[in-house]
Amino acid sequence: MNAIHLARVSKRFGSHLAVSDLSLDVPAGSVYGFIGPNGSGKTTTLRMILHILLPDAGHIEVFGDPRTDVTRDQIGYLPEERGLYKKMKVRRLLRYYGELKGKPRKFIDDEIGRWIDQMSLGAWLDRPIETLSKGMAQKVQFIAAIVSRPKLLILDEPFSGLDPVNADVLRDAILAVRRQGTTILFSTHDMNVAERMCDRIFMIFRGRKVLDGTLDEIQSAYGSDTVRVKIDGSPAVLDALPGVVSVTDFGQLQEVRVAGDPQELLAMLVTRARVRHFEVTRPSLHDIFVRIAKPTPEELAHEAAHA
Amino acid sequence: MHRVLTVARSEFSSAVRSRGFLIGIMIMPLLFGAAVLLQRVVERQANSSLRRVGVVDDTGQLFRPLAAAAEAWNRGKRDIGPDVLDGPRFAVEQIAPQPDRQALRLTLSERVRKQELFAFVELPPGLLDTSGSARIRYYSAAPAFRELPDWLQRAILKEVVSRRFIQANVSPMVVASLLKPVGTDEFGLATRETDGHVREAQELDRVRTVGIPVAFMFVLFLVVVMTTPQLMNSVLEEKMSRISEVLLGSVHPFELMLGKLLASTAVSAVMTTVYLTGGGWAANRWGYLDVLDPLMIVWFVVFLLLSVLMYGSFFIAIGAACSDLKDAQNLMGPAMMLLMVPALTWTLVARAPQSAFAVGASLFPPATPFLMLLRLALPERPPSWQVILGMLLTLVATMAVVWAAGRIVRTGLLMQGKGVTVGEMWRWIRA
Repeated sequence: MNAIHLARVSKRFGSHLAVSDLSLDVPAGSVYGFIGPNGSGKTTTLRMILHILLPDAGHIEVFGDPRTDVTRDQIGYLPEERGLYKKMKVRRLLRYYGELKGKPRKFIDDEIGRWIDQMSLGAWLDRPIETLSKGMAQKVQFIAAIVSRPKLLILDEPFSGLDPVNADVLRDAILAVRRQGTTILFSTHDMNVAERMCDRIFMIFRGRKVLDGTLDEIQSAYGSDTVRVKIDGSPAVLDALPGVVSVTDFGQLQEVRVAGDPQELLAMLVTRARVRHFEVTRPSLHDIFVRIAKPTPEELAHEAAHA
Repeated sequence: MHRVLTVARSEFSSAVRSRGFLIGIMIMPLLFGAAVLLQRVVERQANSSLRRVGVVDDTGQLFRPLAAAAEAWNRGKRDIGPDVLDGPRFAVEQIAPQPDRQALRLTLSERVRKQELFAFVELPPGLLDTSGSARIRYYSAAPAFRELPDWLQRAILKEVVSRRFIQANVSPMVVASLLKPVGTDEFGLATRETDGHVREAQELDRVRTVGIPVAFMFVLFLVVVMTTPQLMNSVLEEKMSRISEVLLGSVHPFELMLGKLLASTAVSAVMTTVYLTGGGWAANRWGYLDVLDPLMIVWFVVFLLLSVLMYGSFFIAIGAACSDLKDAQNLMGPAMMLLMVPALTWTLVARAPQSAFAVGASLFPPATPFLMLLRLALPERPPSWQVILGMLLTLVATMAVVWAAGRIVRTGLLMQGKGVTVGEMWRWIRA
């Protein structure tokens, strides 16, 4: 069964087509990564799933039900732009968000107790939000999204602004939510997180779906045209080699996209530099993202003309 | 519906738990009362100070009676009605006439400027002539202060007329008794009871006939002013703190708005209960309990509900449309102006409740709840058709405002970081 089913969904704001003819199936119980550059239609799509916006065309179902105004009680939502009532105490706020999803007080209190302990926020339960640190407030916001024990959890950039310690706590919490059977759809710009945490990844670009599949499927589709190289001397030598499409310099390592046979590249490279590392690999999600979303020379010229 | 109630419960709880609510509910009427009291005290203080007037008496006969008249006035003696120890006090100073009148006027003008005198007056000799057309000349730097020239004119006229009667061999005593003013006792209207018995008109009691109706209107006004603008702050805070989108993931914008309106109505009900209970206690204490007519309470509740819904929706829409406080304050102007209509016009309505102006103003929906309530509380009640028409117009206007606000909230809550124009809001409503 699919947790989310989008069939040929479109949404327009004035003359801007935010989402175009988008179809997507998110299997129940999966962790689905939702990637795409800013302004590509991610938030609009999430808002349509949540019934905050209505599609101009197409069809949306959540757990097989097309009534998204009804099904949103089964959805927890952590938007990218976060906010909490500063004067409200943590317990009251969590109860409020839980009750808005139609859950009884007893159920909500049990969930609050469980998550507050897991997030080590017990001492702050009866304090106003304004006394919390930013990290603590983000954890409270996450609990607010899951306090109703939703069947579907939508997270928009859940790790942004978190230090590594709090990011680990949140990651563990997301995995714990997944273990209880919740489907997780999360939007992120962090390709490493998407690669490591998601069963499937979906990319939207200019309102259209451009990627959809497991990481393995996506990488396979882009072939083994990537080589990781470590050489002595300047990496500029790589640019001059025939068959090199692009070079991404990471300082200690260069990632090279090759048009022809990587073995030929290696043969040419050893004649010009001392090679310390040469690894034929598949392109990373980051690389695939950049290949898709990189502005064309015409777009760059247009941007420069209007700057 | 559970979402509407959940929002309402949370909003109500946040509102009444705050210290601001408790302080506001006490302070606002006190501030209101203090403002009225202060105005009275300042007025009395400013009015009761001694005004010294220089009198250049060219008749040689009028200064002495004028001084006596000033003394009587300052003791509270009035031409008509009982003695009143209130109002301005006057002192007269005799100024010897000089041949060079221009120089004398300049000297006296300088004394006025130095505030040694408040004004000066010239009484030409012709004033005492029965056929004369001589006029009193009054010089002052404060022409808006009418009490002094009016008193001078009355006092001098009284003396001059008395002297004219003597010249005409008519006894001033006789004239005084013939011209003795007639007093007036004011009554309301007689009514016929349901059993056919005619109930005599009651002597007019200003507290009962004006004070209490005005109090009814101002309690309603106070409650609406204290509760509905808070809705704008609440929505704006949610929007600026990015809470709106979290809420919209759970509730429809219209449900959110209805929840807030419901909470505001509940807060208004609490305040009304407090004020009417206090008013009831005061009415009982001073023997006016009978004026708390149950029908008036019903009207009060109806108009309270309509005005909170109408103005509440208005303010919610402003909060949803704006992205910061500055934008919101700019848009608040028109709403506050509408709210001020009854505060600025109630005196005209109270003086002539059946006038075309009063009828028109009380049928203007933003003012209807206040002005129609005032008219209903006054002794001369409006005809039923006006009350029903006013209520229907307000109901339609309220429904229209709630609907339009719902459309604005739906779009506005998700708009961030940009100011909004009235034209854009109109487009959102029509979309």
